[in-house]
Amino acid sequence: MNDIASAKVLEYKGNTLRFTPENPAEAKIPADELHEHLQKPSTARTKRLKERCRWKHASAGEFIEKSVTAGIERMRYLTEAHKASEGQPEAIRRALGLANVLNKSTLVLQEDEFIVGYHAEDPNMFPLYPELSHMAVQDYLRSDYSPQPADEAAAINEYWKPHSLQSKCQPYFDPADLGRMYQVSSMEAPSFASGYNSIVPPYETVLEDGLLARIKLAEKHIAEAQADMSTFPWDGTKGLDNIAKIDNWKAMVIACKAVISWARRQGRLCKIVAENFETDPKRQAELLEIAEICHRIPAEPCKGLKDAMQAKFFTFLICHAIERYASGYAQKEDTLLWPYYKASVVDKKFQPMSHMDAVELVEMERLKISEHGAGKSRAYREIFPGSNDLFILTVGGTNAKGEDACNDMTDAILEAAKRIRTAEPSIVFRYSKKNREKTLHWVFECIRDGLGYPSIKHDEIGTAQMKEYAKFSLNGNGATDEEAHNWVNVLCMSPGIHGRRKTQKTRSEGGGSIFPAKLLEVALNDGYDWSYADMQLGPKTGDLSSLKTFEDVWEAFRNQYQYAINLCISTKDVSRYFEQRFLQMPFVSAIDDGCMELGMDACALSEQPNGWHNPITTIVAANSLVAIKKLVFEDRKYTLEQLSQALKANWEGFEEMRVDFKRAPKWGNDDDYADNIITRFYEEIIGGEMRKITNYSGGPVMPTGQAVGLYMEVGSRTGPTPDGRFGGEAADDGGISPYMGTDKKGPTAVLRSVSKVQKNQKGNLLNQRLSVPIMRSKHGFEIWNSYMKTWHDLNIDHVQFNVVSTDEMRAAQREPEKHHDLIVRVSGYSARFVDIPTYGQNTIIARQEQDFSASDLEFLNVEL
Amino acid sequence: MQAEKSLQNQPHTEAGTSRPCRSCKWQTPDPTDPHRGQCTANRHAMGGVWKRWLRDVENTTCARHEEGKLSFRDHV
Repeated sequence: MNDIASAKVLEYKGNTLRFTPENPAEAKIPADELHEHLQKPSTARTKRLKERCRWKHASAGEFIEKSVTAGIERMRYLTEAHKASEGQPEAIRRALGLANVLNKSTLVLQEDEFIVGYHAEDPNMFPLYPELSHMAVQDYLRSDYSPQPADEAAAINEYWKPHSLQSKCQPYFDPADLGRMYQVSSMEAPSFASGYNSIVPPYETVLEDGLLARIKLAEKHIAEAQADMSTFPWDGTKGLDNIAKIDNWKAMVIACKAVISWARRQGRLCKIVAENFETDPKRQAELLEIAEICHRIPAEPCKGLKDAMQAKFFTFLICHAIERYASGYAQKEDTLLWPYYKASVVDKKFQPMSHMDAVELVEMERLKISEHGAGKSRAYREIFPGSNDLFILTVGGTNAKGEDACNDMTDAILEAAKRIRTAEPSIVFRYSKKNREKTLHWVFECIRDGLGYPSIKHDEIGTAQMKEYAKFSLNGNGATDEEAHNWVNVLCMSPGIHGRRKTQKTRSEGGGSIFPAKLLEVALNDGYDWSYADMQLGPKTGDLSSLKTFEDVWEAFRNQYQYAINLCISTKDVSRYFEQRFLQMPFVSAIDDGCMELGMDACALSEQPNGWHNPITTIVAANSLVAIKKLVFEDRKYTLEQLSQALKANWEGFEEMRVDFKRAPKWGNDDDYADNIITRFYEEIIGGEMRKITNYSGGPVMPTGQAVGLYMEVGSRTGPTPDGRFGGEAADDGGISPYMGTDKKGPTAVLRSVSKVQKNQKGNLLNQRLSVPIMRSKHGFEIWNSYMKTWHDLNIDHVQFNVVSTDEMRAAQREPEKHHDLIVRVSGYSARFVDIPTYGQNTIIARQEQDFSASDLEFLNVEL
Repeated sequence: MQAEKSLQNQPHTEAGTSRPCRSCKWQTPDPTDPHRGQCTANRHAMGGVWKRWLRDVENTTCARHEEGKLSFRDHV
């Protein structure tokens, strides 16, 4: 076993560099237990909250904790309201459904917590959504996590079958096409089959206006519309538009009133506990304070940081878990909370507190998110192994004036993350050279502590992208140049606008995946999938005898890709068509300024297009194409038929041949032979073909290459590939990340390769694993800071880091119970290492651990 | 005989089988459609788990059927 101090000595610019730990005490910590020494909760309370946190991590489709199960209350009360509201306008039915759930559901109040609220009847439970996909609920009914009573749950699911989004959308597609999508091997299943969704809630209106003001606005619009309808002379070409608008505004009023009433019910519960049950005077006072906050917000505008944190959490629960399921935690949290931080911490005007009190609040928020349960379908319990869902917030970057947007709230968020050490929520940092160094130090400290976040996005690339999409706005009201700075990652990787309007409301706008590795496999087999489903998986694009040149192979892939991406986007747009007719979101609509002004549902209104789809496993396909071109069509060492024979045998009996294909040039080594082919692949096919498609919002659909845990799942559904990979092995772990272990020329060679891909991309995830001793040494920050400046100047969209040693990961595999605080970056999210299947753990261990040579440091222009 | 043995080792249709894939420890449900499944019995020495899609988990079986459920750690 090694210790953290590195024996590495480097001669650089006439100096001898030694990589001893910046903190001398760490020199004595064994490398295989480092991360169990790093948590430092800011208070005894957050330490207790973490110890009793009800984690809901899932892996391989199963929940890790045996006590976790689906609740029945949401589906029960939603169904009750749906039956009772037959005949009423659909938007109003949706609002009545939300109101019935909020009015009748059991409230949860837990010991020690200051931020209150939960979305199910028990803190070990999560709600289900039969109105989305009856298949997803049926899977739960057959599982160990079925809601109880099971008979009632089954009857509810049966009731929703004809009404569900799934049933509305399916008839518009060929069942054969849907069957191909449902397998999740070449395409992600459509959201109407899985129920998966994401959103960027306009938190700003709730915190700034309060819901009573939103109700007044809606009532004013209703009165104006009714007056318009009675104005002489009646114009039927315009007057009838008022009907749908009035229904939407009425639904908004119902939804906002229900949310206020629900929050006040939470407050009353706190008051009852304080006055009748709590014996500790300090906690009694605190419960009464929470009761007062919940009575006042979200009804009224927030005045202090405690208000803002609570109002934000209530809004999160409604938008992500109660009105409709949506993954994510998208928000520009430092910008959103800064006015309230200033009021409480700087000016001490309301809810006065210290900076460390703010840090404690953020730690408590992180623990609330850590125990949030998501009633997501099996596919999504498989593909984020080691986490409960994708929770990703954004900080840093620049403001509307183009100035540094970092503030002391940014630092509080980062410090809390470092101290409490939870995998969720993950953090995105928008990197600009204008960012202050104090905040960059916090970013670095989180990264070097092995949290895997913040992941870094290029501030200027994201802002330029928002401006570009705005040009396609159907109502001419896309993001202005100032608003283009207001962006966050919607989920792992894709930027979208945040703020009072123009945010993404549904995943049918952007999201979903396509899998090039499998598409290449079927392109080499005339569209047939021999290795997983044993069926025709795509169009017939020619058998091997017809693929006489490399361009023939290239075009066969292009045709498979066109078929798949067209199907993916059309299923999203058909979902959008029905979402706005049967899955309206009156609460989300009420808090969006655009929906409020226009009387439109949030799923219908699109002001800022944001079409995107995620290619995942691109590098396996790309490296395979490079190997085919070199070994089959240039060197002519093998024929395609011989290659096919070897692949069908999983390389058994063809070891020499496998080694040749494995040794063919690979992505990530600044090798022009591989990089030229692969750059063309990204720009001409992956991005070029995708952007030919126009989605519901009128803009192009662009690729956001990433991986989540799909690189494992799709790898296990993909046979052997011409890059020398065996059948069932994991695919590449990020949108543009080199295949694990094949980037052997150092970290700056990776950056040079990746920087070559510039056209037709919305985003591309780059995973890098850095040496623990170097990052924890006194030179760590300077090296990382120089790396970031170079990364920025090479115009690369994204990068994220694992700073975890192989020793420690191996130790955690041997004794998982001793390594609960070991967090790793999977891809787009961080996870508790011991909650990931061994298959996935091994993929992280296999990633190349990048050391820095003197030539790397020279390229980065590091001053030490 | 060898071909027959090989076939028996692969998931195949057997209507009303008493050893359906659904109850097999190597099976894990399909990600989307609960009537389908995935067989994970093919495990490569290098650590790969090469899945095979199962059209009908109630009416397919094979000679490698084993009742039970694997830990999440042994799946993908």
